[in-house]
Amino acid sequence: MLDPRWRKVLRDLWLHKSRTVLVVLAIAAGIAGAGAVLNTWALVRRVTREQYLASNPASATLFTDSIGAGLLARVRALPEVREVQARRTVFGSARVQGGWSTAVLFAMDNYSANKIGMVKPETGTWPPADGALVIERSSLAFSGASVGEPLSVLVGNGEPLALPVTGIARDVGLAPGWMEHVVYAFVTPATLARLGAPSTLGELQILVRDASLDREAIRRVAYDVKAAIEGTGRRVTNVDVPEPGRHVHADQMDSLLYTQGAFGLLALFLSGFLVVNLISAMLAGQVKEIGIMKAIGASPKQLAGMYLGLALVLGLLASALALPVAAFIGREYAELKAELLNFDLTGTAIPFWVIALQGVVGALLPVAAAGLPVAYGCRITVSEALRDLGLTGGQTASWGLLTRVSGPARPLLLSLRNAFRRRQRMALTLLALATGGAVYLGALNLRTSIRGSVDLLYRPMRFELVLRFTRSWPADSVEAALKVTPGVSGAEAWSSAVAAVAHEDGTLGDAFSITAPPAGSKLLAYEAISGRWLEPGDSNALVISRGLLRDEPGLVVGREVTLVVGGRPTTWTVVGVVAGGPGTSAFGPRETVSRLAGDGRVAGAVVATEIAGPALQLEWIGWVRGEMESAGFAVQSTQLLSEGRRVMEDHLLMVADFLGVMAWLMIVVGGLGLASTMSLAVLERTREIGVLRAIGARHRAILTMVQVEGLVIAVLSWAVAIPLSVPMSVLLGQAFGRIMLPVPVSLAPEMTGVMLWLGLVVAVSVVACAWPAFRATRITTAAALAYE
Amino acid sequence: MASVLFGMTNPSESQPVIALRDVTKTYPSPAGAFTALANVNLTIDRGEFVAVVGQSGSGKSTLLNLLAGIDRPTTGEVMVGGTAVHALSERAKSQWRGRAVGIVFQFFQLLPTLTAVENVMLPMDFCGTWPGRERKGRALALLKRLGVADQANKLPATLSGGQQQRVAVARALANAPAVLLADEPTGNLDSRTSEAMMDVLAGLVREGQTIVMVTHEQAVIQHASRTVTLVDGRIHA
Repeated sequence: MLDPRWRKVLRDLWLHKSRTVLVVLAIAAGIAGAGAVLNTWALVRRVTREQYLASNPASATLFTDSIGAGLLARVRALPEVREVQARRTVFGSARVQGGWSTAVLFAMDNYSANKIGMVKPETGTWPPADGALVIERSSLAFSGASVGEPLSVLVGNGEPLALPVTGIARDVGLAPGWMEHVVYAFVTPATLARLGAPSTLGELQILVRDASLDREAIRRVAYDVKAAIEGTGRRVTNVDVPEPGRHVHADQMDSLLYTQGAFGLLALFLSGFLVVNLISAMLAGQVKEIGIMKAIGASPKQLAGMYLGLALVLGLLASALALPVAAFIGREYAELKAELLNFDLTGTAIPFWVIALQGVVGALLPVAAAGLPVAYGCRITVSEALRDLGLTGGQTASWGLLTRVSGPARPLLLSLRNAFRRRQRMALTLLALATGGAVYLGALNLRTSIRGSVDLLYRPMRFELVLRFTRSWPADSVEAALKVTPGVSGAEAWSSAVAAVAHEDGTLGDAFSITAPPAGSKLLAYEAISGRWLEPGDSNALVISRGLLRDEPGLVVGREVTLVVGGRPTTWTVVGVVAGGPGTSAFGPRETVSRLAGDGRVAGAVVATEIAGPALQLEWIGWVRGEMESAGFAVQSTQLLSEGRRVMEDHLLMVADFLGVMAWLMIVVGGLGLASTMSLAVLERTREIGVLRAIGARHRAILTMVQVEGLVIAVLSWAVAIPLSVPMSVLLGQAFGRIMLPVPVSLAPEMTGVMLWLGLVVAVSVVACAWPAFRATRITTAAALAYE
Repeated sequence: MASVLFGMTNPSESQPVIALRDVTKTYPSPAGAFTALANVNLTIDRGEFVAVVGQSGSGKSTLLNLLAGIDRPTTGEVMVGGTAVHALSERAKSQWRGRAVGIVFQFFQLLPTLTAVENVMLPMDFCGTWPGRERKGRALALLKRLGVADQANKLPATLSGGQQQRVAVARALANAPAVLLADEPTGNLDSRTSEAMMDVLAGLVREGQTIVMVTHEQAVIQHASRTVTLVDGRIHA
């Protein structure tokens, strides 16, 4: 049987059930938010480990000439190498929704012996047969393909072939095809030959024997393999060593989850403010009872135990509510994240320690929050407690200022002054709401910054269309053919190559692309962050992106560097650094790059037009393609720059939106806090409301007074959120920079955002105060005046 | 020293259960120090029923507060049940108070969310004076003694004033205190209920309970064995 002390605790909670419910909901919202992110992290981390590592991702890939059984055996015999396989990757086009999209075809000699980057068949036949395609699952929806139906594929100079799709498979090492707008497919070398593509296998993938090696150690093993390959007279054009055990998007996902988790914890912390408010109000309302209990023998410790026990009950109730919600949201979010990483979320059992942690934090947070008010409230002496006449105290220093405010009608003045009666409570409520507003405004600023950054990124590109040809052509003839095509206001033939920095220790850096416009290009003009842009007359001048400089800090302006391009070392001079987008890239003169990449010809072009509007531009693209093909230039793919920009912006804004979701969580917590505060205010002023009724106040006046009091707090929180949004914008910008790419942060919120926030906070206030206002109108005069 | 402070040595029957020696209590006020009690000397023996009377502001409630350890004298000594109450710290007073005195308030001051029997059990919980399994039985017995056993499971809001005050008396007796202090115990009751309440208190005195009661009602005073009259903070002879 429960002690009377604990029965009092439970019954006190029940007696004030509406405000108990509000505080429990607020704490539960905080636990659910933070818990959902934690659950997602735990589930995604497990699936990443289980599925990605289980697929045996390649420790390194070396690009070389044709790989045969002899070379495979030679490399396999190296002591540091556990497994080796060969494959080829070919870029082509696939017919998607009436147009052509990029297709990436993977070919292996023997799929049955696939032990590196293992592909998992899902439906249909496996391995692919000659002349057939097996589509990677994440490309299926984008490609519009289905098993049993043909898909047209085109590679190089070949004719498009309609190849039957005979199966679906999953390769967890690939970024999702639907996200990249790419059709991934698995074929045999014979199918490549039929498509007119090179069919010899030129990518050697290895797995190192020692799984504990770090990236540098693996790179050393890869260079041993390189030496072994070169010992057979072959050339190795590139060596790619990814971060071991890390999915290509894992860092971004982790950064996003950590940032969201931080905001979830902030929401939890803010809900602790509400506990402070509730417990303080409860103690204030129970001063006499505390005095009586002390008079009949209770020690301060015993009293503190009772009220901390009350806080623990709040925490347990909130945890019981929040844990299932957090589990549900966590699983849904984890499924989304897994899809973004191209995994299946198999097994949705959340680890016990994760659930236990949420339960413990949820239960103990209110106890921690209540500590100070309980310690303070229980210190009151019996004489002070029994002298206290209760309800209508709360005169504050601000009375002086507020009593000088005249002009507004007395009821309005009363609301204004009432809002400041309990300053600590008001401050905590205001802070919770204002923090939510600051994150909301910060997220809006981030969206603006992202759009601005994408604008800056694309500003140097003064063209609308990118063309890729099936083979290379003399630059002059491409440009001449384009310039006479109707609708074309400018055209340039561009070259490109893949390069890697040759380090002094003989290793190669990660591969990056060199984009090569003509000298004096009018369609691409970056502003250099340091140094200069390309100029006419440049031969081996290299302009690098900020991302490449981050990866290769030795590429300072003015330095000579050796790049391996097409397998051959060449000397360049770094002349400038430009923003250049999130990846690693560089720019060089067309004449130099096209010569190094092959035959001095180009396989791409960019085209400017004055035709505006997506529909018209799509029509025009068809026209350009037709004209070029009529002139003998077979087009492999076309892409509108605006489409590429839209895809990039959507990806980036999606991340910003994930961060912005946390703002809503905090606004919910703040709104619940306001509702709880106003409920307490109405309860404490029951007698006062009775007096107002006795002197003529009607329902509407009482209702308005309560709503206006809430609005005062809401408008103040609106104002406080504006300067608070400045550091919040910085934090969100930094978080985004870790997740995706650095963006210049827009600090000052836009007027639209400020007004949106005002509208939102007013709406939150009206909703939050609706029930307390209604309750206030239900108080009868007699009951109120009898209230003790 | 602790035994003297906490009265753990049993004072002999001949020693007064309450002794105030040269007790003065002053309160600071904007208009200067206000003397609520001035050089009060008072002894009360075991089994006495003392009524403390006086006009409003005469110091009656202050006297009671000093006896209960709720207030501390500015000068002088307050001994209750052999304990030097004036020398106890706040923490020690809580512990002492629950066991040594029982307080009956004018407005009953029952905890509203506890039933009658639970209100009576509460002091036993705080002080640990009785084993847990015996507390309910003792509480019911006290309620029966005061004629409200049938109200045991009801909340205070459903009880009449007289019933609430009887429950409050039962609560005050929960830890078998040496002294019962009653501050205007009939102040909120009608005349008939007041009379009944006084019969209850008189009955307790017959059983050996020492009671100090503050009142200003003449009808109530006649039940007391002794009257102490306070005028402007001094005992009027």
